[in-house]
Amino acid sequence: MPAPYKLIIATPDGSVYDGEATRFIARGMSGDLCIMARHENYVTSLGMGMAKVEFADGTERLAACMGGMITVFNGECRVVATTWEWKEDIDVARAESAKNRAESRLSGKDKLSDHDIEIAEAKLKRALIRTGVAKL
Amino acid sequence: MASMKNIKLRIKSIENTMQITRAMKLVASSRLRKAQARVLETRPYTSLLKDSLDEIANSNSDFSSVYVKKREVKKKLYIVFAGDRGLAGGYNANMFRMIESVTKNENAAFLPVGKKALEFLKKRDAEILSESFPLVGEVSVSDCYEMSRIICKGFKNKDFDEIHIAGTRFESVLSQVPFTLQLLPFTPDETEGPRKVATYDPNPDDVFNAIIPEYLAGIIYGVMCESAASEQGARRMAMENATNNASDMIGTLSLTYNRARQSAITQEITEIVAGAGGGEE
Repeated sequence: MPAPYKLIIATPDGSVYDGEATRFIARGMSGDLCIMARHENYVTSLGMGMAKVEFADGTERLAACMGGMITVFNGECRVVATTWEWKEDIDVARAESAKNRAESRLSGKDKLSDHDIEIAEAKLKRALIRTGVAKL
Repeated sequence: MASMKNIKLRIKSIENTMQITRAMKLVASSRLRKAQARVLETRPYTSLLKDSLDEIANSNSDFSSVYVKKREVKKKLYIVFAGDRGLAGGYNANMFRMIESVTKNENAAFLPVGKKALEFLKKRDAEILSESFPLVGEVSVSDCYEMSRIICKGFKNKDFDEIHIAGTRFESVLSQVPFTLQLLPFTPDETEGPRKVATYDPNPDDVFNAIIPEYLAGIIYGVMCESAASEQGARRMAMENATNNASDMIGTLSLTYNRARQSAITQEITEIVAGAGGGEE
């Protein structure tokens, strides 16, 4: 059983989690990373993807995590995410409809400006991650 | 003296106004509570990001990010937060007065948020960067990210050499103070104590540049929440005063009305008595 450490997850909408965890997995700037107890001091920014938190009692929770950063200082891990949705909170219907909207926008790509394409692609990516996490 | 009927009509109309102002006050109070809660919720997020940015900027001496480097200021950009509606006491007026005095003799462009801000800047013929955020009540977190993206791009392209944000700080229900804050170039605070040593993945500069837009979006969102709370606070006070004034006016008018009524009765009695006396003779 891995040792527990302090994990804080915060978003602009408020604090998501503040307590103990044994393992935290997320997608960082240069690939997936896993934080366990006694990790060295570490800072990186987060990409978009699935995140997983494992707790001392052996349970684990999945989430969709988009952007932000993660810092580990003196054994305390802080995750500052742009958005963080626990798997059970994801509104699959909404994510699906967002996915379809983005796809139909992108199908008429020629008419869109680069900026619009960028936004639609980002929306599509977020929607795909959400639905992906929800189906796990 | 105004006729009794006129006084009665005025009382009635003031009562109607008072009903409206009282309702607006109640609405503002409940919105204020919500806005205040939102302000508190964003604080841990922005403070964590700010700490990390300060840490990175202070920990290496050869650190150089575009977002930190100062340059000659040819043009400034102000993000201006004001309300969507009036009837909020001095909330909008105070903000505009501050903008007016701060940007005097400056080459500045503006990014207004809120209908009143847009109207004000249009009237002044100011350069407006984007009109895509007309309603402050409908701005979401993702709009803040959009704003942050716009300003980071403008700063990197050297369209603007300094970027400021103008909002209203919520000090208490009684006092809201307009302020400006410099967003870019980012000025890190000196961190106290020994430096924390950490591994930056892949390197400090990339991490810093990736975090900056997030941080700015967080700050923008925070200022927006604070301004929204200020607006509701100002409106609540204004409406409370209006309600009190209305009830004072009703008080004085009722007094005048009763006096007029009494004097009319007295006059009638006098007339009757005089009439009856005249008949006896």
